[in-house]
Formats: sequence, C-alpha cells, structure tokens
Amino acid sequence: MKNRFTIIPVFFLFTFFFTFNLNAQNTAPAEWATCGACHTIGKGRLVGPDLKGITELKDEAWLISFIKSSQTMVKNGDAEAVKIFDEYKIPMPDNNLTDDQIKGILAYIKNYKEAPKEEPKKEGKAVGPSESKGDEGSGSMKTHEVTYGAGNTRTVFIVFLLLFFFSLIDLGLTKIIKAKFIHYIIILTSLFIIGEIVYVEAAALGRQQGYSPDQPINFSHKVHAGQNQIDCQYCHTGINDSRHAGIPSTNVCMNCHNVVKSGTQTGETEINKIYDSWENKKPIEWVQVHNLPDYVYFNHAQHVNAGKRECTECHGNVEEMDRIVQVNDLSMGWCIECHRTTKVQFEENDYYKSFVELHEKIKSGEKGVITVEDIGGTDCSACHY
Amino acid sequence: MRTRLFVLIIMAFALVSCTHDRNDPGRAYFPDMAYSNAYESYSVNPVFKDGKTMQAPVEGTVPREMIPYPYKRVFEDQQKAAETLVNPMKADKETLEKGKEEFDVFCAVCHGFKGKGDGHLYTAKLFAAKPSDLTASFTQEKPDGEIYHIMTVGSLSGLMGAHGSQISPENRWKIVTYIKNNFKVK
Repeated sequence: MKNRFTIIPVFFLFTFFFTFNLNAQNTAPAEWATCGACHTIGKGRLVGPDLKGITELKDEAWLISFIKSSQTMVKNGDAEAVKIFDEYKIPMPDNNLTDDQIKGILAYIKNYKEAPKEEPKKEGKAVGPSESKGDEGSGSMKTHEVTYGAGNTRTVFIVFLLLFFFSLIDLGLTKIIKAKFIHYIIILTSLFIIGEIVYVEAAALGRQQGYSPDQPINFSHKVHAGQNQIDCQYCHTGINDSRHAGIPSTNVCMNCHNVVKSGTQTGETEINKIYDSWENKKPIEWVQVHNLPDYVYFNHAQHVNAGKRECTECHGNVEEMDRIVQVNDLSMGWCIECHRTTKVQFEENDYYKSFVELHEKIKSGEKGVITVEDIGGTDCSACHY
Repeated sequence: MRTRLFVLIIMAFALVSCTHDRNDPGRAYFPDMAYSNAYESYSVNPVFKDGKTMQAPVEGTVPREMIPYPYKRVFEDQQKAAETLVNPMKADKETLEKGKEEFDVFCAVCHGFKGKGDGHLYTAKLFAAKPSDLTASFTQEKPDGEIYHIMTVGSLSGLMGAHGSQISPENRWKIVTYIKNNFKVK
C-alpha cells in the first residue's frame, strides 16, 4: 500500500516534466536565461563551469559578490576568483541583480532536478536548458511544388500527333469516317496543339524555369529567411559589392548552428551535415539553381546597389520556399522587358550629369521618364561582351 | 517510305523531350559559349587536391593592401585589441546611416533593432542563449577596439560567431560607431 502512494506522485512528476521540461524545468527564474547562456546544471562545462552543487562548494555571500561582479573580485585578488578566472580565461560579465534575485537563482540551482531523459543526446553537445525547441522529426520537408507546364505534355503531344496522322490517313486512304469536316476539325486542332507544344518547349530550351534540384543539405529558405527573419545579405554577403551574391561558407552557418543543434523540420539529421563539413573541412557542394549562360554578363551589385532592385523581383518569394526553385525564365526577353520599363533616378544624380542630350529632352518636355533603355540598358554590349 | 521515316523521327523526338523533372536543368539549343570552359569560383576542381577552385592564399602570404587581423579569440588578445585598435570613423551622418544599415542586416536578428538584446531569434526562442544588451554599460563602456574585435573574431563565450568574413573592416567600424552613438543611454 505504501509503495503505491509514492509511485503516483513520482509518476505525476514524470509526466509533468515530460510535458513542460522544455521551458519550465523546476520553474526557472527569469534571470536564469542570462546564466543559462554559459552555464549548465549537471550537463557539463560549457562556456563557464557546470553549476551543479555550486551552493555546497562556495558560501552564499561569496557567490553573490562573484555573480554581481567577478572581475572586481579578480582585481581585488580574491584567491578563489583568480583561480577560476585563470582556468577559464573568460571574464564573466557583471550582473545588475539584487541579492534576492541571486538567491532565487541559487535556490533554483540547488533544487534543480534532472529531467527524465527526453532523447539521447551526444555528449558535450547539449547547450542550455531551453534548447531543442519545436516539433522535431516531423518527417521529411514539405516541398514547394510548382506547376510550370503540364507534367504530361509528352502524352498530350503523342495523342494529338497520332490523332493528326490517323485522320490524315483516314481522309486519303481508309475513309472510315464519311463526313470530311470531322477530319478537318481534328487535323486543325491537333496541328494547333502540336504547334503550341513545340513552340513552348522550343522556347524553354536552354532555360530552366521551374528548375528545383535537390541540395546536399535540405536547407529551407522558408525557415531561415521567412520564419527566422534573417536578412538575405547576412549569408549572401556579396550582393552590394560584388558581381556574385555569394554562397555562404560553412563558418557562416556555424554562427548560429554552434548553438542551434536541432531543426524544427528535420531534427538533427540535416544540421549534422554542417558539423560534418565543419569538422572535416569539407565544402558543401550546393547545386547552382540560377544559371545564366556564360556569354551574358550579370552583376548583382549593379542591380541591388545602384538599381535598388529587391531580391524577390528576380528570385521570387524565396521566403516561402523550402527548396529553391527558379521562378522566372531568366530569358533575354525577360531581362529586356525590365530594362525597358524600369525608371532610372536620372535627375539629381551626379552619375548622369554627362547625358546632356537627355537632360535637354526632359527640359523641353520631349521625354517624361528615363528608363534603363534610354541610358544604354538594351545595347548588345551592355550585357554581351 | 519517307513519310513513315519522318513520322518515326518525330515520334522518337517526342519521346525523349519534354520531361519536366525538377532535378533536370533541361536541354540547350546550340549552347555555344554558354558553359564556361574555365573552372568557376564555386565549381569542383580536379586539379587541386581538396577539389576546390577557390583556394586560400598560401600560408604566410598576405594579399596586397591587406593588413591581416593580428588578434585571436582569447582573453589576452581581446584586451590588446581594446588598447591598440583605434576607430578611424567619424560619427557623421553618412557613417551612422551605413552603420545602421549594416547593423540591421548582421546584428539585429540577435541583438534587436534597438540593440536591447531582444532580436527575433532570441525572443522567438530559436536561439537559446541571451544576446548581450548593447545599450547596457557592459557594452557601452567597452573601448571601440574591443567591440570591433568581438565582431571580427566572435565573443569569448563562443556564443557569438566570428563575423569578420561577412562584414568588411570599414563597415565593422561603422557598426561600432553606430552602436556607440545611437544606443547610448543618455
């Protein structure tokens, strides 16, 4: 009988921890967020020492003054403080906390009970108590399917080609269907559809609209640029100064992923590929999606910096793409169309001072707005040289 | 006979073309000069042992007009940086505007647009560690050189990564100027 009573509360505690262990372990005080960035309780050394059992090792007054300003203690030559500082070589920032707040934190550390194991974690990789958020392991990434052109174009093409030839043969030789106008209708419609398909497919030759290759890492722009609101330029640093936007090297990933070790959609599998690249110094072989032919020159800096274009104008709503897809066809007609319609900030711009003729035309009212075309944006040699 | 051959050719063409596989970049028509013969910056290169086209400079060499950053991510170096590095920027309008622009791109996700340490990544509980409040005296009392150093090589705690590869030295100084001038609590 006695046993039963102890089991029930323990069981209750377990379920409590299981549901709330991510945020509220033993109800951490709000100030713990600052401590938890560098310290763990019983999960090993992080930036600073593991705080498990610290309340028994050091007396409260010492701890309070150390937490308030550790460097002051080091400067004053407190032997224990100097010893810790020499070991870690990282000064603990001063904390503007009251004695009561610090006592609250110490009580939390003292009474901290380890939560039942939620998931096996690799040793030394656990960071902070509020890590590993979200619904991991929700399976494969949702893909951003685009319906560019019918997938069964080929079938349609063959069907109408057959229809075309059968009616042609029937018209001249077999004569199964008596009414000749049926033949003509079939021949004309199938010719029209075949022509349309051939035209569309021929125009798409050498273009890659809808191209959305699998990448070595299931990197999601929807998560990073959309949900996390990270600026495009944070990773693609070249857009303002270089011809290329640039693909970030692994160290840029590691700026966040040294702490974020588990993703919301794919858990640890995809992020572990970053660590593999980082630890083995192996570059990640991303597949280039937007390929311009080598005979055309394109410069990101010119378009983003001088032209003030938004990334989405050419790349589409990247913030909603799990897997990058080429939205526009990047054809020459598409480029020219934009060059013809985009206005240039012509007046009050020193760069265009030398365009005397155009300035006179504006004065005389002959020209209203100046587009990229007017300043040579559709010359062959503007892009092909 | 000729028509039948013609039909067969067309049918064969129809069978091989028009595949809309998202993994396939498609075919090109007379791709003269469309593909580079030279290895491109990001392409795989069989000439080098590590397979990269973009090679790091030989160890110990310094590119022209570049002064290598002398300090590492250790406490002593951070103190040295604090003492020796001097901010070359003047706090004029242009500098502060560029500083804000760069801050909003590279820093604000974690430190918040107002520098309070309340960036989206932290408030949305995506990044576990609390970023420093840049308006607090902890940061504001640091010399410019120390902030520049932390930006370049990362924080001592290892929680903030090195941003030296992403932001040019000039822009880093502009961000420092922006932090010091605009986030100061008066």
